[in-house]
Amino acid sequence: MAVSARIARVRTAAWLGWQIESSWADPLLFFIYGVARPLAVALILAVMFRAVRGPGARDAAFAGFYVANAFHAYVNTVVVGMGWAVFEEREEFETLKYVCASPMGLLTYLSGRSLVKFALGTVSVALTLLLGWIALDVRWTWSAVHVVPLLAALGLGIAATLFTGFVLAGSSLVLTRSAMTVLDGATLGLYLLCGVIFPVDLLPRVLQWIAFALPFTWWYEAMRRFLLGQGASALLSRLSDAQLLAGLATVTVVFAICSVGAVRAFEHRARQLGRLDQTTLF
Amino acid sequence: MSALADSLALNWRAARARAYVRVVGTLREPQGLVSDALFPNLGMCAFVLFYRAIGAPKSFEALAVIGGVLTTYWVNVLWGMGAQFYWEKQQGQLQLYFAAPCSRMAILTGMAIGGLAATIVRSVVGIAIGVFVFHVHVEAFSPWLLAVVFFTTMAALYALGMTLASLFLLYGREAWHTCNALIEPVYLLSGLYFPIRTLGVLGSFTAGVMPLTLGVDALRQVLLGPAARGLLPLRVEIAAMCAFTVLFLVLARVSLGHLENLAKREGRLTQRWQ
Repeated sequence: MAVSARIARVRTAAWLGWQIESSWADPLLFFIYGVARPLAVALILAVMFRAVRGPGARDAAFAGFYVANAFHAYVNTVVVGMGWAVFEEREEFETLKYVCASPMGLLTYLSGRSLVKFALGTVSVALTLLLGWIALDVRWTWSAVHVVPLLAALGLGIAATLFTGFVLAGSSLVLTRSAMTVLDGATLGLYLLCGVIFPVDLLPRVLQWIAFALPFTWWYEAMRRFLLGQGASALLSRLSDAQLLAGLATVTVVFAICSVGAVRAFEHRARQLGRLDQTTLF
Repeated sequence: MSALADSLALNWRAARARAYVRVVGTLREPQGLVSDALFPNLGMCAFVLFYRAIGAPKSFEALAVIGGVLTTYWVNVLWGMGAQFYWEKQQGQLQLYFAAPCSRMAILTGMAIGGLAATIVRSVVGIAIGVFVFHVHVEAFSPWLLAVVFFTTMAALYALGMTLASLFLLYGREAWHTCNALIEPVYLLSGLYFPIRTLGVLGSFTAGVMPLTLGVDALRQVLLGPAARGLLPLRVEIAAMCAFTVLFLVLARVSLGHLENLAKREGRLTQRWQ
């Protein structure tokens, strides 16, 4: 397929995604609903920290957790959102079968839908960081920021987000109503396994291996190190900046290859099981 | 007298039937039951580890575990009751409830009972994680007092769920987004992961309007004693939750009737995909 045709299809899916996401409310209300959750989680962390250390306390580790929590909004919005897109299309709007039957194909459609979610995730990340900067004293020295590695890590992290979204969307094709629990569980599972708000060193050894197999663990550590100047994990602190970035790139590429294969396998299985037009809520 | 008995029997059967669907539906997917029991507790684990990472005293971990266990009930109230009429509308079943001779509150009670069964499994898993994985300790406590606090908390929460359900009768996708928006902000305002006192005046205010705030604080006081850093005396919190229960049940009854009429007039009961 010509690249221009593919781009046109992605753009159409993105436009449709925006209509679906935003058509229920006026822009202000939509904005409030969109940012309420990530800002609340950021404030929960700040209040927990304050409850332990007292008002006005500062800690570099807390800043690292806060920054990673801000970037986790991409996972909540894009990764889980792509799974919800499939679920909604099948269970609520009952249009999934038409998407699968159209020449666009599921992967192209999901890529387009993810663009709107990326935009929403970016707003969440920006506002959470802004709240931290203004109200919670989570700041960094601009001159000390490692700009090039930071941008590279950001790009790799966003790519990892997209491919993980494919996996969850694929799993939603196969799962019935339990997809709701699995999607919410995936949000929380990744929050736990990737050491967003604590060093992965605190996890049991088995879970640490799983954590290191996930790109987000590397991504959050890279974002902390390249933005704030210090990571959270003692295990990953043994790696140089280049090694950390190489680790993130490797895990992301492997994850991307596996995820494309996984989503095709899930789609095939969903067709076999007759799940594409099955509604299962009760 | 006979008419009242007939009405009670009818509503009881309606509640039992609605609970049956939910319980059977849950048991039909065993893998869903496992994920349903385990996944919601993972967020609690992350917050406990956050306390460890910042060197908090052990009692804070217990605070987070108790709050984390209660999150499962709040999520059930929101999605399993508040937004349920929205789901029913999407599936085209809502009009059947309104055509049936039973009370809408009986159907909501059935939803609550059916949902509570799965939620109890989920909270038992949360408690097991707290005790066996994080080794949280509780003070010696009276099981009767714990039962009283737990059931008053549940009654107040599910009565609130009924009120929310009536509000969501009118709405379409706003219901979905409102439920989403009411999760973490309510965790924050209810102090589920930290002592509610830390919020200062805001904490006292939310205790006055949200039963979850009082419920979590009361449960912590029973289980942790002074380490709970309680907001109000336990008796006051129990009395306030009883008052919340009555208030929300009355509100639910009034608003169900009012909003049902409004939804009928505006033709929204059968409106899908809005």
